[in-house]
Amino acid sequence: MMTDIHQYLAEFDDIPGTRVYTAARARKGYHLNQFCMSLMKPENRARWKADEAAYLADWPLTDDQRAAVLARDYNRLLDLGGNIYFLAKVFSTDGLSFVQAVSTMTGMSVADYQAMMLAGGRSPLGVRSIREGN
Amino acid sequence: MARITNGLATSHVPAIGVAMDLGKTEEPYWQPVFAGYDWTRQWLAQTKPDVIILVYNDHASAFDMKIIPTFAIGCGERFKPADEGWGPRPVPDVIGHPELAWHIAQSLILDEFDMTIINEMDVDHGLTVPLSACFGALPEWPAKVIPLAVNVVTYPPPTGNRCWALGEAIARAVASFPEDLNVQVWGTGGMSHQIQGPRAGLINREWDNRFLDGMVGDSDHLRRIPHIEYLRETGSEGIEMVMWLIMRGALGPATRALHRHYHVPASNTAVGHIVLEPVT
Repeated sequence: MMTDIHQYLAEFDDIPGTRVYTAARARKGYHLNQFCMSLMKPENRARWKADEAAYLADWPLTDDQRAAVLARDYNRLLDLGGNIYFLAKVFSTDGLSFVQAVSTMTGMSVADYQAMMLAGGRSPLGVRSIREGN
Repeated sequence: MARITNGLATSHVPAIGVAMDLGKTEEPYWQPVFAGYDWTRQWLAQTKPDVIILVYNDHASAFDMKIIPTFAIGCGERFKPADEGWGPRPVPDVIGHPELAWHIAQSLILDEFDMTIINEMDVDHGLTVPLSACFGALPEWPAKVIPLAVNVVTYPPPTGNRCWALGEAIARAVASFPEDLNVQVWGTGGMSHQIQGPRAGLINREWDNRFLDGMVGDSDHLRRIPHIEYLRETGSEGIEMVMWLIMRGALGPATRALHRHYHVPASNTAVGHIVLEPVT
């Protein structure tokens, strides 16, 4: 049974607070994610830390992508085609853990986010579907 | 002949590796996570697998956006721990089994699974954390490891049904390898977690436990869980659980559970772990 790709993709937009890393996002974010990947090398990390804007100038990013990287606006970066495993290279270079960086996308403080996780995490109740409100 | 004796599934949360590497496993936060692996460490010391086919996903370490293989099999002699941005983990190199790996790769291609063959790559926490959690901190890994990397990052990942069928084909390939080898298949990743966007931190204890229940017995309904259900119910990164189905498919029609463990949280993630044996 062949799955209809249009229907398959359309359903992803119905999940609250989630950006599924589709081909459309992967295309839009190609250079953004490859820039992130370059921070896997220590010599690149050193250059990046010395002058972020100059380092970014070497990459064919959009102005929006550049601004969002400099602002560490991770939700915006997801909208602009960033993938979290690639963006992790940026926040790891900043010395942030996944919990610290991820909490910035939720509008919660790190302490509140950690407390939520210790209490069992965010319930799926009400955040499964925008359409169904469940 | 080589035979698949057992299957094992476990989460591969990077923070589990960090906790071990920094000696934090006895801290109150981590103790309940690691307690669930005590049984497994003893069991592995007794059962002594020769080779582990370790199903995992790379997290932008060996593969960037240039090439995205859906299913890739590591056929090299050895694989080094990847530098994921904070230096490589201080764990031993992973020693491959090129002869069995190439045998599986060739068999799978003739069995109509068009594998990508990897001769050189570094392996990230997706592969090394399960080894650390299940074996402990050792100077060398006590089994050879065949890495089997699955794309679960760029959509669409393979369907659960396709993963299951790949597992079945791996079992056929192993069964036709002439050397007498005790082979285990490990499926890794999951359970519920989401590490992106405003919905980050999602955990679904009930769904996860139903999935663990489902791994036992004929497990047939698990094959038909659509991607959208993993996404809605278990968070955007819960999709990694399709990789457990490769392991489950390799075990055949029915299984029984030897050990099971579930704990929330490790970092952003629900930790799930199960050890299975085929029922014939």
